Amino acid sequence: MSNVLRPYLAAVRSTLTAALTLENFASQVVERHNQPEVEVGKSKEVLLNPMIISRNENERVLIEPSVNSIRLSIKIKQADEIERILCKKFTRFMMQRAENFIVLRRKPVKGYDISFLITNTQTETMLKHKIVDFIIQFMEDVDREISEMKLSLNARARTVAESYLIAFNP
Amino acid sequence: MILLEPHNYIIQTTLAEKFTKPSSLDVQFVDFDGVRFHLSTPERKSALLLSMHIRCWDELVRYGAQEVLQREYGPLVQAQPEPEYNVSLVIDLDTAPPEGEERDNFVKSIALLKRNALAAPFELAFTKQKELESAGDGQGELTAIHYRDEEAIYIRAAHDRVTVIFSTVFREETDRIFGKVFLQEFVDARRLPTIQNAPQVLYTNRDPPLEIRHVPGLRDSEDIGYVTFVLFPRHFNNPTVAAGTISHIELFRDYLHYHIKCSKAYMQSRMRHRVAEFQKVLNRAKTEAATSTERKTVTGRTLHTR
Repeated sequence: MSNVLRPYLAAVRSTLTAALTLENFASQVVERHNQPEVEVGKSKEVLLNPMIISRNENERVLIEPSVNSIRLSIKIKQADEIERILCKKFTRFMMQRAENFIVLRRKPVKGYDISFLITNTQTETMLKHKIVDFIIQFMEDVDREISEMKLSLNARARTVAESYLIAFNP
Repeated sequence: MILLEPHNYIIQTTLAEKFTKPSSLDVQFVDFDGVRFHLSTPERKSALLLSMHIRCWDELVRYGAQEVLQREYGPLVQAQPEPEYNVSLVIDLDTAPPEGEERDNFVKSIALLKRNALAAPFELAFTKQKELESAGDGQGELTAIHYRDEEAIYIRAAHDRVTVIFSTVFREETDRIFGKVFLQEFVDARRLPTIQNAPQVLYTNRDPPLEIRHVPGLRDSEDIGYVTFVLFPRHFNNPTVAAGTISHIELFRDYLHYHIKCSKAYMQSRMRHRVAEFQKVLNRAKTEAATSTERKTVTGRTLHTR
């Protein structure tokens, strides 16, 4: 992990840990409903101030807490066209498997690449600090994975081009 | 296997098998660029009829494909091809060469049917270049082979070179971006000292190169790319080298797309692996209660908590 990345991740980790103080809260609007308030947005008084932690203009995290749920959205670094397409493919691949990743949201929040939704039930059945660990680990690995995929694509392209052209040698 | 082979593997293996053990058969199969083959024994077990359908046959005939096939296969070529196909060969197993190297070469040459049919316009361009070279100046006419629905090969001879232009369509955005990376490497690879002798490669996206800009019906969209190969006389002076160059360059489009598909498959397996890793990290967060075994009711129904 580079030195620049560390404070960014540390900030996300402490903010997320602080925000993960969720409790069971039934809907005030619809009787016998219990919905993640951050998604419903019907009762303003249970929503907390959203926070943006940003590393630079291309990488940021949006944390939207509420009384019984928290939504975390990540904007992943995309320096060029290749990284953009790889990032799109990767996040799509993950979100298609959202039912396995209990905390993953099927669609990202507008302006971000991937979103997580953590509800109070999940913090009760799962270890809170391990959920935070997972999200931090994800942020750490996804950049590395995308740059490795990009490198391997370039390496393959070079080998392919060279072996094609070398065959022209009489 | 990095390079694709110019011959058709099915023809090669089937023929080799039928030489040792003749039996009746009727198979249809395909090759790159929508080429269809039909291999059958309509009359007797020892006479195989091999027919090929190729999209751009009319254009190939205009550039001398008939003569090239006549030269390669001689009496095997049928005057009247099988219906729905463009060219038919009859291979008589009884009069074929004896077993050994000679027969292997014979089988191999039959398996090169598609390559030989497509070779005609290239050979024409190479001879034209020779004529122009002695004349000292001038340009040959632009030959266009529409070998796929939306893609074509353009060949033009000049007094000192032969230019081959491929137009290629990338169906989706990923292909387009991957294709760009690959083609950029083709352009850059020539800087290496070992491949200084390779033909010069130029690549343009969207805008057709100057040589074919006047051709009507070119698509103007983001997903199309043009690759130009500049072949110099050293690539086709000697007949064996020329044959190698033709076999090799014909497969360029297939080679490029094959490797784009390969990289996509590789990315997919990589993502699968990485996502499995993430899954493991998340599973560590589950407490005993969350991972406890499935509970069932008496009737066998399961309970789900979300």
